[in-house]
Amino acid sequence: MMNDKPLPPRIFLHFFRWFCHPELRDSIEGDLMELYHERYHEAGKRKADRNFAIDVLLLCRPSIIRPVQEYNHINNYDMFRNYFKVGIRNILKYKMFSFINVFGLAVAMSVCMLIILMIADQKSYDQFHEKKDRIYRILSDQEGSRHPYATSPFPLANALKAEYPIIEESTNVTPGVGGDILYNHQVVEAGGYFAEPSFFRVFSFELEQGNANKALVAPNTIVISKALAYQLFRDENPIGKTVEFSDRQLPFPLKHNGGGATPVSWGSFTITGVLDEAKYRSHLKFDILVSMASRPALYAEKKLEDLSNNWEWYFRTYTYTVLAPDKTRNDLADALNDLVARKYATIKAEQTKGFRLEAQALGDVQLGLQGNDTSDRMPLAGYYFLIVLALVIMISACLNYTNLSIARALTRAKEIGIRKVTGANRKALVFQFLSESVITALLAVTMAIIMLLFIKPAFKGLWINKHLNFELPSTVPVYFIFIGFALLIGILAGIYPAFHLSGYQPVSVLKKLNNINLGKLGLRKVLSVSQFVISLFFITTSILIFNQFKHFLAFDYGFTSSNVVNIQLQGIDHQKLANELSAVPGVVGVSACNIIPATGENNNIEIKKADSEAEYAPAGILLTDDNFIGNLGLKIIAGKNLPKAGESSDRFIVVNKEAVEKLGYKYPAEIIGEVFETKWGKESLEVIGVVEDFRYKLLVNSHDIGPLVLRNQPNFMYINVKVISEDLMGTVAKMEERWKHIDPIHPFKYEFFDDQLATTHQGILDIVSILGFIAFLSVVIACLGMLGMAMYTAERKKKEIGIRKVLGAETLKIAFLLSREFLKVLMIAISIGAPLSYALNNLWLQKLPNRVDFGFGTVFLGTLVLLTLGLITIGSQTLRASKSNPVDSLKMD
Amino acid sequence: MKKYQLGEFEEVVMLTVGVLYNEAYGVSIKKEIETRLSRKVSVGALQSALKRLEQKGYLKSFDGESTQERAGRPKRYFSITALGKRAMEYTKSTRDDLWRDIPKIALNLKIAG
Repeated sequence: MMNDKPLPPRIFLHFFRWFCHPELRDSIEGDLMELYHERYHEAGKRKADRNFAIDVLLLCRPSIIRPVQEYNHINNYDMFRNYFKVGIRNILKYKMFSFINVFGLAVAMSVCMLIILMIADQKSYDQFHEKKDRIYRILSDQEGSRHPYATSPFPLANALKAEYPIIEESTNVTPGVGGDILYNHQVVEAGGYFAEPSFFRVFSFELEQGNANKALVAPNTIVISKALAYQLFRDENPIGKTVEFSDRQLPFPLKHNGGGATPVSWGSFTITGVLDEAKYRSHLKFDILVSMASRPALYAEKKLEDLSNNWEWYFRTYTYTVLAPDKTRNDLADALNDLVARKYATIKAEQTKGFRLEAQALGDVQLGLQGNDTSDRMPLAGYYFLIVLALVIMISACLNYTNLSIARALTRAKEIGIRKVTGANRKALVFQFLSESVITALLAVTMAIIMLLFIKPAFKGLWINKHLNFELPSTVPVYFIFIGFALLIGILAGIYPAFHLSGYQPVSVLKKLNNINLGKLGLRKVLSVSQFVISLFFITTSILIFNQFKHFLAFDYGFTSSNVVNIQLQGIDHQKLANELSAVPGVVGVSACNIIPATGENNNIEIKKADSEAEYAPAGILLTDDNFIGNLGLKIIAGKNLPKAGESSDRFIVVNKEAVEKLGYKYPAEIIGEVFETKWGKESLEVIGVVEDFRYKLLVNSHDIGPLVLRNQPNFMYINVKVISEDLMGTVAKMEERWKHIDPIHPFKYEFFDDQLATTHQGILDIVSILGFIAFLSVVIACLGMLGMAMYTAERKKKEIGIRKVLGAETLKIAFLLSREFLKVLMIAISIGAPLSYALNNLWLQKLPNRVDFGFGTVFLGTLVLLTLGLITIGSQTLRASKSNPVDSLKMD
Repeated sequence: MKKYQLGEFEEVVMLTVGVLYNEAYGVSIKKEIETRLSRKVSVGALQSALKRLEQKGYLKSFDGESTQERAGRPKRYFSITALGKRAMEYTKSTRDDLWRDIPKIALNLKIAG
């Protein structure tokens, strides 16, 4: 009869359950149900239902309704304290495990933090501009180009300002100022930009001296940096002073390509402002700003090309605009599209096919390197590369934590059981374990900050940083990011163990400890194997790249670079300097050239046989004097050397062997006496000699030697001095004295050819350093993980080992027994990792010109390194465990 | 100064709990009051009074057995604590004092009236 249990209206029951205080809920619900049943039998369902509803509604009283917050939040603080205390105790109790966890996480974190620092460093650029959120740089894009150019057409800034009301202001910043400032017999090198008065309305550079509104208005006025002002005038007031400027086309701001042309005087300039440039972190670096109004005079004297109405040539000017406050980026994009549609309808130049203008927010400029950019910066791809490396390491470290925590669940199982029995719910336990991993992560971040103190200078000392200029200041916000990062890592590393451990059934863990599932061993093995596979890959790759580096260093270029000093002419007549230097004892040969071969600079021409219908064939061209071939030890295999400079001497050329073939001749001798014409200028060139091939292109860029033309056309940039002397530096010092005779103004700039060649590969060495470091870290982390597991296994099997020993097992056998699982992991990792790293490295290596032989030797070496480290790790634990005295482990219990 | 605060309904509940002795839980208390005092008692009023009394320390409770008609929910039994007993005695004695001090004539008059 009672089986067909009558039920009260569900909605009221649910409502009651929802609002009622959890403590009272059960007993009151019982009362309600009892009453309901009674009424049901006495008065029927309808009346019972109605009374039930009334009762429920009347129960809505403050004393019965539950508090708004969860009931168990009342003693939050104490619970936190308890979690914290238990967490700390656990960390202290298992010192070795905690160390492995903290150290592994710290190592990985420090790398991640370095990248955070790098990005923060770059993000701190251009933050001082008042209108920074509204400033955009206009980029030019063309069909088929890999990425946009940072430069834009010269007239763009004015057109935008004049024709589009959404543009509040725009300014044209044109590079191409690089030369000497002469004041009072004193010469200082300076580089910078042409700028308009609007420069100071767009950007928030402030003038230390002078009036920003008037500074760049008049022709022949300049604003100079404070450092430059000090160099020139010391403590005098620079404003109003007049200086001479002669331009040497120094490649500014990209200073690394030295050289510079013969000085061209631009006349005198009046200083109207001083700007403390060093104070600002901006992607625009400059010593001087020359007023845009100075350009027309230079056009007239043919010293500069007039670009003011040239929409086709967009490689020379940077355009910055300030958007009106209420306009969005889309408005700007529309305006740019509209402008392109109107201006480029009739322009049909090759470089404006599919031309587009894009806007780049000022905040993205520093990280978003484009073609023709204002300074050397790491491209975004570089950051992605580093981030991926760091993430691999970080994930590896997190997996260690996860792995170890789950494996050691046994030590926590009782605690979990007791906590659950005494009323902890799963949420609280998850919270507890997460708080433990967060504590570990916070300890790790402290350690990582200390490690960062060592990594940071090492990173800053990399060759590449000479160009990238990372300062990596640790500011307060960065530390907040670090803490946030640590919290995130703590949660990520702890989330799986937290859910796994908190899921234990108290009955089963308290009753029989051995029953509990230690997490799928398969999964843990997979994680461990993948850590070692990645480590092996990194090790092999670093060894490979290092081999490649050595290969490049020892590369036979086909010319002698040892004991050759290359001196920048800086506009001096080469003959005059050559005469002076030849007189220095120890100098055995002096020659001149316009570019130093194999250091990255190339000039090209296109030639065809004169009066033929053949296609023009491209070739490199090197302008050298007649001594060059002998001085660098090049071999003439047919014909003769270039003639001495003189009348019509530049008609004759010497080609290399490759050119002979490319131009369609079988034997070098056949090409002697042939006449070729150039595509540009239609000059006739007669071949009088053939030299053996030598490298004139950058090794990393090209596998082919390529056809090359040598021509004696005195437009030289460098003097090559061959020195044979006991005291190389002494000879160089003497050469410097001679230099001062001829040019008292410019500093003597020289470099050893060998060093120059080595420098071209410094970038590779940096990659080796970074990758090697990452490889080292990933191995360390993988080994730490294995160390932890081995330690734990040894500890767990203490009794078993004791009994085995008592029964007469040998030490080595026990060690092997303990190591077997780990050896398996190592072996699987090697059998996957070795072929994988061979295949993956071959993928990119195939694309690299002049590659080193990549055989199994490299992979084998990498494997050996990994195996050694792995075996030491495992062996240290298992051997120790198997050597222990069985009495110690058996006497207890 | 109020030494023991006990409202009228609270006093009734306390007394009923005492009357029911070992059988005092929500439904039985409600029924007892309803039959003895012939007044309607809602579950809400009763429960909040019980909670209040428990908070004051006059009653203590423990969970008892659960039965089928209660859909498996336990009964919550109440019993009077020592403090509760003192509170009841205090209330009773104050009332007795008051009774005693009423002049006979007042009551008689009333009866007569």
